[in-house]
Amino acid sequence: MNALGLLLPELILLVGALLVFLLDVAYDTDRESGASYGLVSGLFLVVAFLAAFFQMSLEPQQAFMMDIDAFAAFIKMTVFAGMALVALAGGRYMNRRTYNQGEFWTFFLIVSLAMSILAGANNLVLIYITIELLSITSYMLAAFFRDELRSAEAGMKYFLYGSVASAVMLYGLSFIYGAVGSLDLREVAGFFVQPDLTEELRVAMIPATLLALAGFAFKASLAPFYQWAPDTYEGSPTPVTTYLSTASKAAAFAVMARFFVVGLSALDVEWVPILAGLSILTMTMGNLAALRQNNVKRLLAYSSVAHAGYILMGLVAVAANAASGMDGLNGVLLYLFAYLFTNVGAFVSLMAVEETTGSVEMEAFQGLIHRAPWLAGMFTLFLLSLAGIPATGGFLGKFFVFGAAVQHQYYWLVAIALVNAGIAAFYYLRIIRTMYFGSQEDAGSRLELPLGMQATLLICTLATLWIGLYPPQVLDWVNTASQQILTAVLF
Amino acid sequence: MESIVLVVMLFWPLLAALVVLLFGGSDRAVKTSSILMSLVPLALSVYLLWGYDFEAGGIQFQVRAEWIPQINASFRLGVDGLSIPLVFLTALLSTLSLYYSAGVIRHRVKEYFFLFHLLEMSMLGVFVALDYVLFYIFWEISLVPMYFLIGIWGSDNRDYAAVKFFIYTLVGSVAMLLAILAIFFATGTFDILDAAAAQPFSQQLTIASLVFWGLFLGFAFKVPSFPFHTWLPDAHTEAPTAGSVILAGVLLKLGAYGLLRIMLPTLPHAAVFWAPWLVALGAIAIVYGAFVCVAQSDLKRLIAYSSVSHMGYVVLGIGAAAAVMTPEALADLANVFSLSPEALQDSAAMAINGATLQMFNHGIITGALFFLVGILYERAHTRDLFRFGGLSARTPYYYGLMMVAAFASLGLPGLAGFWAEFFTFRGAFAIVPAWAAFGTLGIIITAVYFLYRIIQNVFLGEYDPAKIEHWTTVDGQPAEGPTDVVGFEKLTLWPLVAAMLLIGIYPTPLVEYFNQSALELLNFVSTLS
Amino acid sequence: MVPLNWYLTVAALLFALGLYGALARRNAIAVLMGIELMLNAANLNLVAFWRYGEQVMALTGQVFAILIIALAAAEAAVGLALIIAVYRDRRTVDVEELDLLQG
Repeated sequence: MNALGLLLPELILLVGALLVFLLDVAYDTDRESGASYGLVSGLFLVVAFLAAFFQMSLEPQQAFMMDIDAFAAFIKMTVFAGMALVALAGGRYMNRRTYNQGEFWTFFLIVSLAMSILAGANNLVLIYITIELLSITSYMLAAFFRDELRSAEAGMKYFLYGSVASAVMLYGLSFIYGAVGSLDLREVAGFFVQPDLTEELRVAMIPATLLALAGFAFKASLAPFYQWAPDTYEGSPTPVTTYLSTASKAAAFAVMARFFVVGLSALDVEWVPILAGLSILTMTMGNLAALRQNNVKRLLAYSSVAHAGYILMGLVAVAANAASGMDGLNGVLLYLFAYLFTNVGAFVSLMAVEETTGSVEMEAFQGLIHRAPWLAGMFTLFLLSLAGIPATGGFLGKFFVFGAAVQHQYYWLVAIALVNAGIAAFYYLRIIRTMYFGSQEDAGSRLELPLGMQATLLICTLATLWIGLYPPQVLDWVNTASQQILTAVLF
Repeated sequence: MESIVLVVMLFWPLLAALVVLLFGGSDRAVKTSSILMSLVPLALSVYLLWGYDFEAGGIQFQVRAEWIPQINASFRLGVDGLSIPLVFLTALLSTLSLYYSAGVIRHRVKEYFFLFHLLEMSMLGVFVALDYVLFYIFWEISLVPMYFLIGIWGSDNRDYAAVKFFIYTLVGSVAMLLAILAIFFATGTFDILDAAAAQPFSQQLTIASLVFWGLFLGFAFKVPSFPFHTWLPDAHTEAPTAGSVILAGVLLKLGAYGLLRIMLPTLPHAAVFWAPWLVALGAIAIVYGAFVCVAQSDLKRLIAYSSVSHMGYVVLGIGAAAAVMTPEALADLANVFSLSPEALQDSAAMAINGATLQMFNHGIITGALFFLVGILYERAHTRDLFRFGGLSARTPYYYGLMMVAAFASLGLPGLAGFWAEFFTFRGAFAIVPAWAAFGTLGIIITAVYFLYRIIQNVFLGEYDPAKIEHWTTVDGQPAEGPTDVVGFEKLTLWPLVAAMLLIGIYPTPLVEYFNQSALELLNFVSTLS
Repeated sequence: MVPLNWYLTVAALLFALGLYGALARRNAIAVLMGIELMLNAANLNLVAFWRYGEQVMALTGQVFAILIIALAAAEAAVGLALIIAVYRDRRTVDVEELDLLQG
C-alpha cells in the first residue's frame, strides 16, 4: 500500500469536509436540506471508522510524520465512533437551532480529522499544528450559537484558556527542540536514552516538560488547567460538549501517551511523579466541585474532569513488559473506549431532556422514570458505569487502571482514587435519586425521543454492557495497540 | 444436567426480570408471573441440596467456560457444602419475599418485581461464583437493586438510608477490589480456588496484612462487623419489609460467606495474625449490638441492631477458627492450652459450623422477624414500641408467630437459634476463652430485649386504643383495632417457622453440609507448609 | 557572534511578559496580545536553536517558526471574531464580566 493509502481515514474525512463545504456554498440551503449535511457527515464518519478498523490489522509503519499503528487506529476508531454517535444523536438538535448547518458539519468533520491526525502524529510540529487545528475549530463550535450569551462566552473562555495553554506548550517544545535538535519523537526518544546524557540536561528538561504538559493537560482537562472545562461544557451546544468531553479527550490522551511513553520514555523518573500528582489533583478537584453542582450538564462536566484524573493514573503506571495483561497503557485505552460510549450516552440522555424541557437543571430530571422510563433506565446505566459499578464498561476501565496502579505498587495513588470513587458515587446517585425517588403525580408530561437519539442511546447501552460483560474482543484490540506503541519505545 | 443446573438457576431470575420488564402487563400478571418464576431457582436449589454428593465432597455442579482469557478470568461456577444451604436460603427468602410483596406493594409494581429478580440473581451469583471477577461483579450489582428498593419503596427517611447504604458498601467493596487485584498480581489468576492453592503473600506478612484488611473491609461492611455497621440500622429500618428481609436474610451473609470462602483459605497466615482482632470485633458486636437493642424504641430498628449482635456470633466463630489456620499456629495454641492439635481442630470446626449455622438461622429467623414487624406496620403505620400493648389477646395468631421467632432468635433450646450459638461458643471457648466468655453476655442481654422490650411492650399489658390514631387492615381499609394475620401472611411465615422448629429439633442434615465444608477448609490449611 | 544565551534570555523575557499579560490583564484584547508575545518568544527560541544547532541544513526550527506565524494569524482571527461576538451582546470585552457560566 502506498503512503497516501495509509492516510485513508484522514482522506475520507477531508473529502467529506470539503464536500459539505462546497455543497453549502453551491446550493442555497434552507433548514430542511441543511439537515441532510448531518447525515452526510455521519456517513463519512462511519466509513472512516471502517477504514480505521481496517488499519488495526496493518503492520506498524510510518507515513508523513504519522505512525500508522494499531494504537493510532484504535484511537481513531474510538474518536470516529464517538463523533458518529454525536452526529446521529445531535444532528437534529443542531439543525433545529441554527441556519448555518453547512458550516457546522464542515467543522465537525475537520475536528474529527484533527483528532485523527493527532492519534498518529509522531512529530512535534505535527502535534502542535493538529492540536491548534483541533482547538481553533473547537472554539468555533463551542461558540456556534453566537447570539446566545452563554455559547459565545463558552467559546471565548475556551479560546483564552486554550491559546494561553498552547502558547506555553509551544515554548516548552522549543526547548526540547533546542536540546535534541530534532522534532521527531523517535529522535527525541533516541536522544534521551543516550548513556552519556548529562545530569544537567535531564534536570533542564523538567521545566520544558512541564511547559509542554500545559498544552496536553489543557486538552485533556487535567488540573490545574481544567477551569475552562465546566464553563465551556456548560455553555456550548450539547453535541459539542459531548464530543469535547469524550472524543477530544481520547485524542488528547493518545498524544500524551505518545509524547511521554515514546518520546520521553527515558525520562520517566522525572515525569511519572508529576503525572501522578496531577492525577490526584484532577480527580479530587473534579469530584469535589461536582458534588455541589445543581446543573446536570455542569455536573457531568466536572465528572469528566475527574475521569481524566483516573485515566491519567493509567499513564502513570506504564511498564514496557507487563506480563499480567493488565497494564497502564491498555488500561488507558480501555478506559477511553468504555468512557466514550458511557459519556456520549449520558450527554445524549441529557440532550433528550434538554430538548423537551429546555432545561438541564436537576429539577428537569425530577421523576424522569415516569415520563420516559426507558430513557431513565439507560441514563441510570450510564451513570452507574461512570460510577464504576460492575457489569458496565466504566467498571472494566477502572478495573484495569486501578489494577495497573496496584501492580506498580502506587498504593497511595490507588487509595486516593478509592476515596474519590466513593465521593463520585455520591453525586451520580443524586441524579439517579432525582429521576426515581419522586412520586408519580408531580412528574409532568411524557417525553418523546427522536429516532436518532433513541438509536444512539441504544448503541451506547449495548456497547457499555458489551464492554462490561464480555470484553475479550476489546481487550485484544487494546492489547495490540499498547503492545505496538511499547515495542516502538524499545526500538 | 449436572453442569447446566447452576447456569439455569443463576440466570433464571435475570430472565424473570426481563420478562417482567418487557411483557409485564397488569400488576396482577406481574405479581403472579414473578412468584411462579421464582419457584424455579427454589426448585433447583432443592435439587442441589438433594444432589450434593457427600462421599465425593468438594466443589460440585461445576461450570467452567472461558471468559476473559487476557486476564485469566473464567466463567467458573460451583457449589459446596457451604454455599448450597445459602443458595437455598436465598431462593427461599426471595420467593417468600416476592409472595409477601405481592400482597403489600401497590405502586410501581413492575419496577419493584424487576428489581427484586435482579437482586436475587446477584445474590445467587455471589454464592456460586468461583472467579474473583465474577464474584465481584455479582457482589456489586447487588447494591443497585437494593438501593432502589430502599429509595423508592422505603419509609420516611429512605433517601438518606439508601445513599448511606450504597456509599458505605461501595467504599468497602472498592477496598476489596484492590485486595483482589493484589492477589491477582501475586498469583496470576482470578480463580478463587487456584489463588487459594497458590497461597499468595505467605512469606510477606506486611503485604498480606494489607490485602487481608482490604478484603476484610469489603466483607466487614457487608456483614456488618462492628464498627462498620452504622449503615445497617438506617437501611434496615427504612427499607420496605421484603427489602429488610432480604438485607438481613441474605445480603449480610454475603460478607460472612466471603470471609469463609476467600479470606481464610487464601490468606491463612494473615488470618492467624489478625484473628484476635476478628474475635474481638465479633464479641464486641455481640454485646454492643445487644445493648443498643435494649435502648431502642423503634421496633424495626431494634430488630436491625439485633442483626448486628447476631452477626457478631458469625464473626466470632470465624475469628476463632482463623486463629488456627496454619499448622504452626495450631501447634502453638495446642501447647498453650495443653490440648491435642486434633481436639483444637475439632473446636475450630465446631466454631465454623456454629458461624455457618448462625448465618443460615439468622437468615430465617430475622427474615421472619422483619416480616412480622412489617405485618404490624402495615396495620398500625407506626413502629414505635411504646404505642402498642396488649396485642396478645387481640391478635393471638400473630402473637404466637412472634413468640416462636423471638425465642428462636434469643437461642431457646429446641429452636433453630440455639444450635448455632451453642456450636459457636463451644468452638470458640476452646480457642479464645476470654472473648467467648465476654460474648456470652450478649445472650443474656438478647433475652432481655426480646422479652422485656418486644413481648412485654407490644403483646402484654393493657391495650389502649387511644395510642394509635388509625388502625387499618392489611389492605389499607380502616379498622376498629388490630386485626390478626391473614392468609398470605400466614403462608409467608409458615415455611420459616417450620424451618426454625425443624432445625431446632433435628439440625443434623443441615449441619452435615456445613460440616463438610468446614472440614475441607481445615484439611486444606493443614496441608500448607 | 552573539551567544545563544542572549536570544534565549530575550525570548524568556518576552514569554514572561506575554504570560503576565495573558494572566493579569482583564481586557480580552490585551490577553490576546499577551498570547501573541508568548508565541513569538517560542519562535525566537526555535530560530535561535536552529541557527546554533548542529543540523542547520535541516531547517526544522525555521519551518516550525513559519508555521507558527501562520497559525498565530488563524488563532488571532478566530479569537477576535469570538471577542466581537461577545462584545456585540455585552458591550464589554472585560474577562471578569463574563460571569454567566460559573460555579
